[in-house]
Amino acid sequence: MVVAITFEHVGYTYQADTPLATPALDDVSLTVPDHGYLAVIGHTGSGKSTLIQQLNALLKPTTGQLTVDEFTITPTTTNADLKPLRQHVGMVFQFPESQLFEETIQKDIAFGPQNFGMAETDALALADQMLTQVGLDASYAQRSPFELSGGQMRRVAIAGVLAMHPQVLVLDEPTAGLDPQGRQEMMALFDRLHRERGLTIVLVTHQMEDVAQYAEQVAVMRQGKLVKEGTPQEIFGDPDWLRANQLDVPRAAQFAQDLTAHGVTWPQGLPLTASALADQLAAQWPKGGAAHV
Amino acid sequence: MENIIEVHDLAYQYPDADQRAALDGVSFDVHPGEWLAIVGHNGSGKSTLAKALDGLLPFTQGTVTVGGVVLSPETVWQVRAQIGMIFQNPDNQFVGATVEDDVAFGLENRQVPRDQMLTRVAAALDRVGMTKFANRAPSSLSGGQKQRVALAGIVAMAPKILILDEATSMLDPQGRQAMLALVKELHREQQLTVISITHDIDEAASANRILVIDDGHLIEENVPAAIFAQGERLMDLGLDVPFTAKLAAALQQRGITPPTGYQTTQEMEEWLWQSLSNTSATPTKPTHP
Ligand SMILES: Nc1ncnc2c1ncn2[C@@H]1O[C@H](COP(=O)(O)OP(=O)(O)OP(=O)(O)O)[C@@H](O)[C@H]1O
Ligand SMILES: Nc1ncnc2c1ncn2[C@@H]1O[C@H](COP(=O)(O)OP(=O)(O)OP(=O)(O)O)[C@@H](O)[C@H]1O
Ligand SMILES: [Mg+2]
Ligand SMILES: [Mg+2]
Repeated sequence: MVVAITFEHVGYTYQADTPLATPALDDVSLTVPDHGYLAVIGHTGSGKSTLIQQLNALLKPTTGQLTVDEFTITPTTTNADLKPLRQHVGMVFQFPESQLFEETIQKDIAFGPQNFGMAETDALALADQMLTQVGLDASYAQRSPFELSGGQMRRVAIAGVLAMHPQVLVLDEPTAGLDPQGRQEMMALFDRLHRERGLTIVLVTHQMEDVAQYAEQVAVMRQGKLVKEGTPQEIFGDPDWLRANQLDVPRAAQFAQDLTAHGVTWPQGLPLTASALADQLAAQWPKGGAAHV
Repeated sequence: MENIIEVHDLAYQYPDADQRAALDGVSFDVHPGEWLAIVGHNGSGKSTLAKALDGLLPFTQGTVTVGGVVLSPETVWQVRAQIGMIFQNPDNQFVGATVEDDVAFGLENRQVPRDQMLTRVAAALDRVGMTKFANRAPSSLSGGQKQRVALAGIVAMAPKILILDEATSMLDPQGRQAMLALVKELHREQQLTVISITHDIDEAASANRILVIDDGHLIEENVPAAIFAQGERLMDLGLDVPFTAKLAAALQQRGITPPTGYQTTQEMEEWLWQSLSNTSATPTKPTHP
């Protein structure tokens, strides 16, 4: 297995060496294969955002180290040589406002590519193209990114990151505030980039449906520690454990579990999505009912 | 019964914009103690409407009346005193240097005596599970922690009207349920009037009534069951399709016909296990031997 990301005993403390020191990561070790799709889930305040901000060295480990493809980040990594890393690892932050700053939306999206050497006209053209990809029409190009609704700002932030063509895409609750249609479209877009362009994806989310549908690997955080890691099937296969950790199973799994109480069985394993659930129900449907539709 | 909020023919256009009006001819009433959900796609005008109700927008057309007070530059404080609002981005909300100060801020504004204030702040932080963080700077909290603190501010203030603008969007699944349960308690105990702006179908399902906004217009107004019965069209309205409807569509594709209309989870489950335990037929289909 070619590895894209390795955390080696990473610890992180906010305001370390001050009276306000707050430990937020504790001895996290984890690997994500090249072209992998990792979902990070966990209770509010468990350390998810802190963990993923290590990936582009926005926060640097207090102890331990990590590697992202050819980059190594240690407690002593300096800011001087981070530009190639920041181009390699694109990050959509939890609060999109925090990453918007230009006077027009078009310039905002074009900023990254230009910063990494693309000619202005090309970057502006790319910005227009990205805008449509995230569901906003050309009329938005010249507007201020701050005069937008919450969901529109989120879309612009996503467009700005995608415009840099990163190889690793880090998404911190990228669909919070998006309407369900937009959520579906964005998740499908990330998935296409993953499958067709081989992007490695790290997704922080509270949407268990999205974890079930898209992730290949799931990491569960609790109080700064990585407490469980596995495939979605493995993680969601233990609903009681998840609930004890403030988490939940996807709707379909919950639904299937309720049916289990009435004697329905799941020979293919607990279904995690509506279509997997429908498959298994159809397979055991009484013949007379299904045949004449 | 008198309405606690009356909105009549409200319109608003953001200043610079060659864009269309963000709100256009919106009228509706809210009854005291009612729970109203407002839904709509991104950019449809929901937050703009919330700001208008709270006297944060200089709208020029229409009237807003809150608790019998007609909103105007002169009465804006009388109106705001009745409303607790949680903004879409909690960072836009924090004013205190610490979590505790922040939760106390609304009370200070209302000249609540200090000893009373301290107990109310402590109780509010306890109810949202943030006691441990009382002395932290709000800016140093995680996303979900910020949303909990914003809710604590409301709990302490005990307003007559609560406006939630996607106030649970960054909470973990159980945290979201817990905060929703807390709002339900306040709604019951204090006859709180709740207006919740949301894309979350469970939150919308808690409402007595749902308003649908589309491009600045109020296009629909109905009880949740009637709204949810629209199946796939819900996506256009800015809501998710209920899980039961998704499952029904998936079953249909596989040649199984579920009952028509909106089904609750329980109704759907019951129909499924009864159909599965009936080896010869489904309840909705006659058998053809
Ligand atoms: N700038 C900061 N200074 C001090 N402590 C911080 C800071 N940022 C975060 N923390 C603390 O570190 C812990 C982990 O925070 P983090 O933002 O990583 O959580 P999270 O898992 O992303 O939560 P959420 O789901 O609510 O976004 C929390 O207890 C938080 O209060
Ligand atoms: N400060 C502003 N200046 C100019 N236009 C704005 C401003 N804020 C919002 N708008 C525009 O007004 C319209 C309504 O925005 P509003 O924030 O009310 O939408 P919303 O329904 O809350 O959307 P979301 O679900 O994305 O939060 C949008 O088209 C938006 O672009
Ligand atoms: Mg976070
Ligand atoms: Mg909004």
